[in-house]
Amino acid sequence: MMTTQDLLAFAALALAVGYLVWKFFLRKRKKKGKDCGPDCGC
Amino acid sequence: MADNTIKVALIGNPNTGKTSVFNALTGLKQQVGNYPGITVERKQGTCLLPMGFKATVLDLPGTYSLNASSIDENVVIELLMNRNDKDFPDVVVLVTDVENLKRNLLLFTQIKDLEIPVILCVNMIDRMQLKGITLDIPYLEKELKTRIAPVSTRKNLGIEHLKKLIVEYNQLSTEPCLNASSIDPAYFDGLRRAFPNQLLYKLWLVITQDVNFSHLNKNFLDTHNFAKPNPELKRMQQKETIKRYQFINDVLKVGKITDTSKARDLRSRIDRVLMHRVWGYVIFAMLLLLIFQSIFDWSSYPMDWIDGGFAWLSAWVSEHMAPGTFTDLLSQGIIPGIGGIVIFIPQIAFLFLFISILEESGYMSRVVFLMDKVMRRFGLSGKSVVPLVSGTACAIPAIMATRNIENWKERLITILVTPFMTCSARLPVYAIIISLIIPKQRVLGIFNTQGLTLMALYLLGFLAAILSAYVLNKVMKLKARSFFVVEMPNYKLPLGRNVAINVVEKTKAFVTGAGKIILAISVILWFLASYGPADTFGKAEQIVAAQVARGTVAAEAAESAVASYKLENSYIGIAGKTIEPVIAPLGYDWKIGIAVLSSFAAREVFVGTLATIYSVGGDADNEEPIRAKMAAERRPDGSKVFTTATGVSLLVFYAFAMQCASTLAITKKETNSWKWPLFQLVFMSAIAYVSALLVYEIWK
Repeated sequence: MMTTQDLLAFAALALAVGYLVWKFFLRKRKKKGKDCGPDCGC
Repeated sequence: MADNTIKVALIGNPNTGKTSVFNALTGLKQQVGNYPGITVERKQGTCLLPMGFKATVLDLPGTYSLNASSIDENVVIELLMNRNDKDFPDVVVLVTDVENLKRNLLLFTQIKDLEIPVILCVNMIDRMQLKGITLDIPYLEKELKTRIAPVSTRKNLGIEHLKKLIVEYNQLSTEPCLNASSIDPAYFDGLRRAFPNQLLYKLWLVITQDVNFSHLNKNFLDTHNFAKPNPELKRMQQKETIKRYQFINDVLKVGKITDTSKARDLRSRIDRVLMHRVWGYVIFAMLLLLIFQSIFDWSSYPMDWIDGGFAWLSAWVSEHMAPGTFTDLLSQGIIPGIGGIVIFIPQIAFLFLFISILEESGYMSRVVFLMDKVMRRFGLSGKSVVPLVSGTACAIPAIMATRNIENWKERLITILVTPFMTCSARLPVYAIIISLIIPKQRVLGIFNTQGLTLMALYLLGFLAAILSAYVLNKVMKLKARSFFVVEMPNYKLPLGRNVAINVVEKTKAFVTGAGKIILAISVILWFLASYGPADTFGKAEQIVAAQVARGTVAAEAAESAVASYKLENSYIGIAGKTIEPVIAPLGYDWKIGIAVLSSFAAREVFVGTLATIYSVGGDADNEEPIRAKMAAERRPDGSKVFTTATGVSLLVFYAFAMQCASTLAITKKETNSWKWPLFQLVFMSAIAYVSALLVYEIWK
């Protein structure tokens, strides 16, 4: 039986995993092109 | 010119004494107003010239170049582009400051290329002797294809000569300094064919400006297919600026000689010491030493308070909150995790305090110049110094700062080696390990051994960067060299406000940027350390009870035996045990292995991870700070985990390993390829592993 404490803890886990996934895989990076140096490849 | 009246425009960089020249020419005959429609001040005056001539002199707003970035600059460009303007000058007097001639000449060459007669007015010549400067005027006049008026408005020298040159403006050459087509021959060839009657450089200015001038618009570009995307235009503009500076450098190499040994002003005297070929490096090394000493000495007090405070908070939460999963997560995962970040705020704040003071005072530019000589020996460009110095804060902005290196291979090498520089994320790792393995002792009464070790690690990072650059340079066979231009600012007392803003911003960026990742990883690690397979983890109590019954574990140690059995058989314990064979030769146990592995996301996660692992494995109400827990950690055979050999091996590993996902992402972005971040990861981590292995084997 899940207690409130268990729910809170698993919510924190979901938040932590969600944040890392967003940070490293989903977040859209700033559009390339502005202020690029020569031969930067973009 | 009408009625013997010559229209003169005074143009120049800000702070070159333009207004003083204006006052010297016009005296009290001035009118002040605004340009129509804008609030930019317009000053016009009249001036009596020799041989019955008269001049109307327009004092235009100060501008660095003909690339408009403000309304002030637009005023200058609009006037110079429009020959039908009633104020279009017969002659431009470009006012420069003799000390900053190189920067000032950029604007000169641009105006010259508009084929407008320009007189070069070199102001502040009274400072030449003081600064040890000699100008070869005939040579400069020949190379710059103009006449030069050396003046000193302060001493009232040269104004009459300038007036005479204004009268003779008809004899000035209008030949350009730079052949605009050399920026991109094919593109300019097309422009020339499409607009045979237009001045090429003028067309180029219209194309590159971000604004439409009142009388010119860019629609004609679309109809002739000359419009280019912004990044392409920016690249061409950069190429133009580089070509101009190459020209200016070549001219000034002969035309302006600065003999600092003859300079007598205070700045030159200070420069002679700080940039001395021996003392310069000694002073820089002493300053670094002082900084690292202070980081350890001064920040140890707030760090102890923070460490103790978080340990107390963990114990308080576990005692006073209702028992349960969330309370455990708070007391063993989240609070130690946050503590692992907050504890390093004093050290990071001190580091940025010193860096900001050095930058603000003008000393950092001297360091860049000083280090340029060292850099060149290792095949790096002088411009690589800026990213490398920035790399001591963070590799991400440092890699972005390589964009001003024109030569692609030099830029690539700088990108690849910059992560070797000791960034602020390594500081927490170094700090905790140094405090564990290096006894706090005084050397020669003033130096502290821990500060000396930290400085040695910074030097190690720098040596790794330049030696790798040397090797990469040999392998990649660099041919071209880029030139190095650095302007030496005057020395000044750092503004407290600027320093404070910088310290707060950088510290905040560390806490909010890395902090969120550390916190999230701490939460996940806590779960992985608190749960495990049912057949081992789930039966920990029974297994330990059986051991107590057999007498292999003392009854009073049963509670901590359960905690360590659980940790060893948790998911994280299983992962740690799996990688143990790979990391054992480096002297690490599986707990350190987990910390090393998790810090491949970001280095500073190391301390937070250990804090979480040791909190889960220890007593719930243990108030001991993390450092004490690490010092007390034992291997199964009873020997200490954090010996000198293990500590040094860890320091070396962290000095070399590529453990920063964000840096890899930025390398990918800047090189537009996965090849280079992968190379960086493998190359740096291989060096880290082999070096840590060697160090451990030798030391143990």
